[in-house]
Amino acid sequence: MKKNLFYKIFFSYLVIISLSFLLLDLFLREEVEKNLTSQIETEMMSYAKIIDLSPREKVTEQIGEMANISNCRVTLIDARGKVFADSEKDVTQMENHSNRPEVQEARLKGSGISVRFSSSLNIDMLYVAVTIRNGEKINGYVRLARPLHDVQKVIQKMYESILGASAIAVIVSLLIALFISYRLAEPIRAMERFTEKLRQGEPVGAILLNTADETKKLADNINFLVEELKDKIRIANEEKSKLMTALTSMTEGVLIINAQGLIEFVSPVLGDMLSVRYEDVFGKTLMEAFRSAELQKILTEFKRTGENITREITLDMAEVVILNVSVSAVHGYPQEDKTMIVFHDVTRLKKLEKVKEDFVANVTHEIRTPLTAIIGYLETIKNGAIVNIDETKKFVDIILNQAERLNRLVEDLLTLSHIELKELKFNFENVSINAAITNVISLVETKAKEKKITIHNNVRENFPMIRADKDKLTQIFVNILDNAVKFTPESGRITIAAKEADAYTAVSISDTGIGVPRDEIQRLGERFYRVDRSRSRDLGGTGLGLSIVKHLMIAHGGRMEIESELGRGTTVSLLFPLAKKEQNRVPL
Amino acid sequence: MEERRHTSLHYEMELQEIKNSLIYLGALTEKAIQLAMKSLTQRNTDLANQVIRDDDEIDKMDTEIEERCIKILALRQPAAIDLRFITTAIKITGHLERIGDMAVNIAEKAIQLNEEPQLKPYIDLPRMSGLVEEMIKNALDAMIKGDLQTAEKVGETEEAVDDLNEQIFRELLTFMMEDSKNIHRSLLVMHVSKNLERIADHAKGIADMVTYMVTGENVRHRPQN
Repeated sequence: MKKNLFYKIFFSYLVIISLSFLLLDLFLREEVEKNLTSQIETEMMSYAKIIDLSPREKVTEQIGEMANISNCRVTLIDARGKVFADSEKDVTQMENHSNRPEVQEARLKGSGISVRFSSSLNIDMLYVAVTIRNGEKINGYVRLARPLHDVQKVIQKMYESILGASAIAVIVSLLIALFISYRLAEPIRAMERFTEKLRQGEPVGAILLNTADETKKLADNINFLVEELKDKIRIANEEKSKLMTALTSMTEGVLIINAQGLIEFVSPVLGDMLSVRYEDVFGKTLMEAFRSAELQKILTEFKRTGENITREITLDMAEVVILNVSVSAVHGYPQEDKTMIVFHDVTRLKKLEKVKEDFVANVTHEIRTPLTAIIGYLETIKNGAIVNIDETKKFVDIILNQAERLNRLVEDLLTLSHIELKELKFNFENVSINAAITNVISLVETKAKEKKITIHNNVRENFPMIRADKDKLTQIFVNILDNAVKFTPESGRITIAAKEADAYTAVSISDTGIGVPRDEIQRLGERFYRVDRSRSRDLGGTGLGLSIVKHLMIAHGGRMEIESELGRGTTVSLLFPLAKKEQNRVPL
Repeated sequence: MEERRHTSLHYEMELQEIKNSLIYLGALTEKAIQLAMKSLTQRNTDLANQVIRDDDEIDKMDTEIEERCIKILALRQPAAIDLRFITTAIKITGHLERIGDMAVNIAEKAIQLNEEPQLKPYIDLPRMSGLVEEMIKNALDAMIKGDLQTAEKVGETEEAVDDLNEQIFRELLTFMMEDSKNIHRSLLVMHVSKNLERIADHAKGIADMVTYMVTGENVRHRPQN
């Protein structure tokens, strides 16, 4: 039996209908049997009384006819029980009937009924007897007998017609029950199908029922709830997308940890910031995901004190990032104390800060060094050395040298600020790289020869021209080649090459110099940044050379890239945009 | 331990706590090595002192993890992988603590070296410490993920570290032969190199324990092929 409503209703009907007809039949059968039997008995009794009224002789003569009419066996018995007439049997062979139950009953009450086996006829018979009276005196008895199966046949027939009627009634009522069950179950099933669809997230409209009972009201309520739910979902989605937009567009990364200490949410920004994938950190603990003792310490402290904490930490992920981390509790989850951590990437800020600090420190230092020398020697001269002409000449040379250095420094700084403020005028024209490099090599050649450094210019003479400002280009190459010569030990080699790539003409200057540590390469374009402070100052640089190159390259729409291996050498690549793209230069 | 396997959430959390503490301890030791090496290459004695100070926390964590493990052994009677995890954790925390001590050794040598002029630019030592840090990271990664491949990688890196140690040793030997004034500093640098090499050994030990934890097979003391 299926466990659905239709079957339940229908089955109940089935049981009720069957049971009631069964009971009906049971009672009816008994009643009918009783009624029919008593009817037959009464009938037979009447016959017996009628026979009783007839004269004895006539009865004896016409006993067979009487039996025919009454459809009974007729027996006449005298007061002592002796049979003196019978419609079916020879009276001489019949025993005394005075002890027959119906006769005995008739003797006492005037009439008697009995159902029993007839030894004379060998079948079950229904016997009815009445007394023949003459005043108070019993003269004899009239007994009528009918075979019981005759009676039962009548009952059977009656019963069959009742059963037939019942069967028809049952079938008709079951059909009606079927219809009613269907009508009752169908709206509920319709609602069930509807809610199932809703549960599975399929788009649904509304349930339309053409009933007018409670199901209709239920359906209306469901429709109302669905509408409300849709509204709520829409609002929730809207809120979610607002939140996601906010989380994605803000520069801070957000992370949420659940009560078990597992990461539950990571905003896309944070993923990018720390180069982690969502799948890799979701469901992990903070320690597993980021492996940072500092971060764990902050979380532990927050859990202990319950106070919001903001602190700066350094995370060593794919690259080192400096983060401003704030930890706070997420409210609105009474049973689940979730924790939110907001990460703010301050790496660039910190670097910039450092650059600025370094700049101020450097610029004062760089200016003070020559000034100290100048003042020192001038004081020496003033304090008496002036009389010694030779000494004084030497000192004045040094003073001049330092003053020139100071001048160079100021010039460089001015150039730099001009470029940055875009005050420098650029005069772009087509320039031959080969020519420019040959020109520059002649400027640094003497210095290179002193250190036995060979310079190879591998740039073809007919190498495509680039658009550049000739003077600025010379300055770029001078600064780089000058550096290369400075930082390449004796008997080293400097190679200059050029090639055309997708969007750039690349000029590379490689040396076999001392190289730059990998983590310092990106700081090389900073003003006054020196890898090894003491050494490079000895070599007479201002610390602004590469910075100027970097900015000049940017002004040219190109850029400078540096590769270096410690102890092996450095390659500086200058990427100039291709000449045809020069017209509408895209800032980099 | 990716998904919840234990009926007792509390037990599950206890195991997770131990794992967390191990990673935390690992991060602390990694940091200690980094700082110790930084104090050497940047000649910064303050950093070296910080390493020595911070070692207290490493020692504290070590005992704490060990106590937690013992508590679980006694109260929960772990079986199979949990039992292996707990025993492994006890061993790993020992290894990490020793690594912390060695970082302190390096820091102490750095303090001494910083008092004298630099013998030579450090090129191989930072490379070596880079490898060693990677080994620890990989070993702990292997532990977190139960990843045998990462554990194997640690063994491979160890050979590279050994080679570097040899190279540094030879180089320093020539320095010492050149000038007897170099001997003291050379010996100190050699100490640093030796300590890094031993840290690598410990990292390998951790990786081996991870292999044991995952497979139940003991790969220690196995002859090299």
